[in-house]
Amino acid sequence: MEKIQYIGETLLPGQIGQMGVLLAFVGALLSMVAYWFATQRRESTDYESWRNIGRYAFLTHGLGVFAVIGSLLYAMINQLYEYQYVQAHVSEELPMKFIFSALWEGQEGSFLLWMFWHVLLGFVLLFKGKSWETSTLTVIAAIQAVLATMILGIYIGFGDEPSKFGSNPMLLLRQTIDAPIFAQADYLKLIKGNGLNPALQNYWMTIHPPTLFLGFASTAVPFAFAIAGLWTKRHTEWLKPALPWALFCGSILGIGILMGSAWAYEALNFGGFWAWDPVENTSLVPWLLIVAGVHTNLISKATGHSVRSSYIFYLLGFLLVVYSTFLTRSGVLGETSVHAFTEMGLESQLILFISVFTLAGLGLMIWRWRGIPHPKSEEHTTSKEFWMFIGTLILLFSAVLITGSTSLPVYNKIMQVFNPAFEGKVITEPVAHFNKYQLWIAVFIGYFSGFAQFLRFRENNWSKNALRFAIHLGGGLGIAGLLTYLSSLLIELHTWQYTLLTFSAYFTIVSNLDYLITHLRGKLKIAGSAFSHIGFGLMIIGIMASGVNRKIISSNAFLMDGLIAGGDEEMSKKNITLFRNVPTMMQDYLVTYKKDTLDHFTRTYTVNYQRKNKKGKLVEDFNLYPTILYDKSFTKIATSNPDTRHYVLKDVFTHISALPEVEQNFELKKQREEELKYKALNLEQGRTQLLHDTLDVENQDTVFRRTFQISLESISRNPVHHEYKPEPGDLAFSTKLKVRRSDDDSVYYANPVILLRGQLIYTYPDQIDDLSAKFKIGQDAIEKVFALDNQLKYENINLRQGDLGKWQDLKIKFTGFNKAPEHPDYSRKEGDLAVGAKLDITAPNGKTYHAEPIFLIRDQQPLNVKVEVSELGLHVRFPLLDPGKETIQLMLAKSSTPSSIPVEVATDSLPSNYIVLEAMEFPGINVFWFGTLLMMFGLGFSIWNRMSTRRSGESLV
Amino acid sequence: MKRIYLIAGIMVAIAILLFVNSGKDMTTYGSFADANSSTKKIKIVGKLAKNKPMVYDPAKDPNHFSFFIKDNNGEEQKVVLLKAKPQDFEMSEQIVVTGRMKEGVFVATDLLMKCPSKYKDEEIAIKTKQNG
Repeated sequence: MEKIQYIGETLLPGQIGQMGVLLAFVGALLSMVAYWFATQRRESTDYESWRNIGRYAFLTHGLGVFAVIGSLLYAMINQLYEYQYVQAHVSEELPMKFIFSALWEGQEGSFLLWMFWHVLLGFVLLFKGKSWETSTLTVIAAIQAVLATMILGIYIGFGDEPSKFGSNPMLLLRQTIDAPIFAQADYLKLIKGNGLNPALQNYWMTIHPPTLFLGFASTAVPFAFAIAGLWTKRHTEWLKPALPWALFCGSILGIGILMGSAWAYEALNFGGFWAWDPVENTSLVPWLLIVAGVHTNLISKATGHSVRSSYIFYLLGFLLVVYSTFLTRSGVLGETSVHAFTEMGLESQLILFISVFTLAGLGLMIWRWRGIPHPKSEEHTTSKEFWMFIGTLILLFSAVLITGSTSLPVYNKIMQVFNPAFEGKVITEPVAHFNKYQLWIAVFIGYFSGFAQFLRFRENNWSKNALRFAIHLGGGLGIAGLLTYLSSLLIELHTWQYTLLTFSAYFTIVSNLDYLITHLRGKLKIAGSAFSHIGFGLMIIGIMASGVNRKIISSNAFLMDGLIAGGDEEMSKKNITLFRNVPTMMQDYLVTYKKDTLDHFTRTYTVNYQRKNKKGKLVEDFNLYPTILYDKSFTKIATSNPDTRHYVLKDVFTHISALPEVEQNFELKKQREEELKYKALNLEQGRTQLLHDTLDVENQDTVFRRTFQISLESISRNPVHHEYKPEPGDLAFSTKLKVRRSDDDSVYYANPVILLRGQLIYTYPDQIDDLSAKFKIGQDAIEKVFALDNQLKYENINLRQGDLGKWQDLKIKFTGFNKAPEHPDYSRKEGDLAVGAKLDITAPNGKTYHAEPIFLIRDQQPLNVKVEVSELGLHVRFPLLDPGKETIQLMLAKSSTPSSIPVEVATDSLPSNYIVLEAMEFPGINVFWFGTLLMMFGLGFSIWNRMSTRRSGESLV
Repeated sequence: MKRIYLIAGIMVAIAILLFVNSGKDMTTYGSFADANSSTKKIKIVGKLAKNKPMVYDPAKDPNHFSFFIKDNNGEEQKVVLLKAKPQDFEMSEQIVVTGRMKEGVFVATDLLMKCPSKYKDEEIAIKTKQNG
């Protein structure tokens, strides 16, 4: 095929990007090798040259990563759709503030984000790592080399099907897709971008992924230290520098996970903050392992015990991050996850990734196992290290259980390899399943973290502290019991397991507060653990309040899951239908769907909540604004975003779970509107007209007859309609129609509107939902109401500036001239002499209207532009100006109210003015947020202590 | 370290026990035939029967969405989901419903569906005149 010279492509960013990818890959490989040699030959003379090669190679690698990100960003900002990644994630409509979100929306972009953090963390190790630089950076560089293959996008192998390595973000669209459009040299002019998924267009998508990936990336550092310790046999020395990194990792990864929860809660319609989704689980597990590692690390530093455990936890922390990457990106999770991930052919590469690092880590661990120091003496059951260690075992236990259940799809896949007929298993009720087991984990952690604070490292003389210990323990248990009892008055604890959990959470809060006050006595520096444990306790209390006591306001059922037979079926009925402006009682709230407004693609609904107390006094009155985001064609709802009323003690959460079909799809709405069978009537004021209607009866051959009585009540020249937004110069009116139907006792009113704007006629039908009837004004009515000019009988009056004239029942004041008049029907031409007469017209009811008719001379011809005061039915012309006498002549006419108005009626119109709403109350959810944040803060806070003790060389544990 | 080993051993034992026990929480995807012979909740995988009526009228009941699905054995069954009709339901390639049979109807309390990925399609959006 002849090579086409494509027009308008900007190829330079792609070339820079491709170079960056290669640089990143080669730099990482070289750095790994050089640092490996530097570590192996650390005693020899060529150590420094190897180390320097490693350094420069790693810096080059970093440069490469930055170059890829930079050129990709450049291409995205400039909407260079010749690049596949840009075309897939950016569009003209995408606001610039979401450009970063678009960058990491795709797999390649998120790999880049992950690598970016590894580079920055690597730089810190490079400059500050001292004796650990070469060994840890060997590991980081190795990780980066593997990650770089994910974006390499090269084909290796021979024959017809070479295997693809990685997916390159800098590829051109025409290189990735074979489409006929690329036969055109100017194809670029014809294509546009797909843009960012509307559900992801919010600030959470800007802050959550970078934080989470920094958390993921920072698990690599304790991992690197663990490998380095094993490799160089410095089994005790590595513990000290690794600890602040592990604390940092725990804190950031925790915050990253929390941001995901907050996103789910605030902006998505999950109706909660945790759903035990595989994607959530696999990010929680590394966090649990790192936190366990922090605890054994502390034990090891203080007592020399548990060094092996520290190794294992830190190794597993990173390996589980890689496993998480495999689960979420390989497509293996399939239908078990709500998070949409597509297969990209990276499965085998990801398996290779896990295998290489698992073998390296665990292989090294086994190889060095016997050499790792461990004290001969056993930990005493009265010592802090003993119970801390049990605590870490519980965390490990939690991680194992979560990983096991989440890996079910992997197990199924493996079984199917051996036995293709194997039927895959699934968890019937995932949330209940996870809660059931993790509840016990939390109970034990609560107790242990409560009383272990009062124990001491290396304690073997129990009797010395028994009394002191007993006092604190007894006090803690007592207060926790009291608090549990008080809580049970406020929230339902439902089962004894929940009561036990609440008790253990209070116990750790009370004990750690006690510890903070009586033991630390203001030594804030080492208070991090107390903060974290109090945070943990508060988190559990928050879960008990907001999760277990979550109340569905929009349901009528007060049922507890599992307590009543068939209760779970009643429980799942969570929605309520609200008709516009019909107040509906929902539990304690009187809820009204007030209105909705459409702005671009977002439709915002105003839902009013009112609650009265027992005396009938209004105590709560607020609006919530849940939104619906349409896709670009207005034929589908892209996403439904909730809105939440935040109180200190509770949240009221609302989202729209469904809309009438015609409101979801505007094409369908138009089509339905066209399909309506309108019947024309000519309504005279004061006379009732009958309309006979037949209705097919379902599954029967008979029809049902009914009669509508319709009469015209009045015509208003000041029309109101929820879709009509008045503009100056509009000619519009509405008719008030009184409607009754033979099989319904009520009287209904409809107010359809018709509008003449410029040359276009718009009709605004009005619907009576209870009758499924729709009314609109016939187009001929425009002429009848706003009579044709030649049918008007004009009368002349003359006015001088400042004069107050009278015409019929109107007072007309001529206030002055306007030398630069404006009117929708008048467009200024070169050479026009135009002047407007400013008039104030006062109606008998005292209302004053402003009008400005225009007189002009164009090509020596006198012309005038009529104005109409729509509400008065008044027509005003300004045909003559007498400069000598300074008088103006006005022509005035009133259009008479017509005797009849054509109206069209459809009796088959389905109601569409409702929303389906789901509303929930989350009591005490702020306790959850505060607790979790305190936990992460405590972890971060401890870094301060570790860093300063590192410098001064003493530990305060 | 003996005590620690003892405790670790006990925990491993509990873990194994729990794993065995948690088998109760796991099921294989069933069929409507299974649902008919059981009162327990069951998960069924199937495809939407597109030629059969789909009824969701929130004006009457916002928690009642009825449709038909064909399970992997080819059996067609009416399903009532006690929730709002999910977005893009018609586009689903595969549906998983959790529920039980009640009076000849499969009453589902949960539904998961697999849709063709919307945003990763290999189609290139072509500019139309209106969009400039």
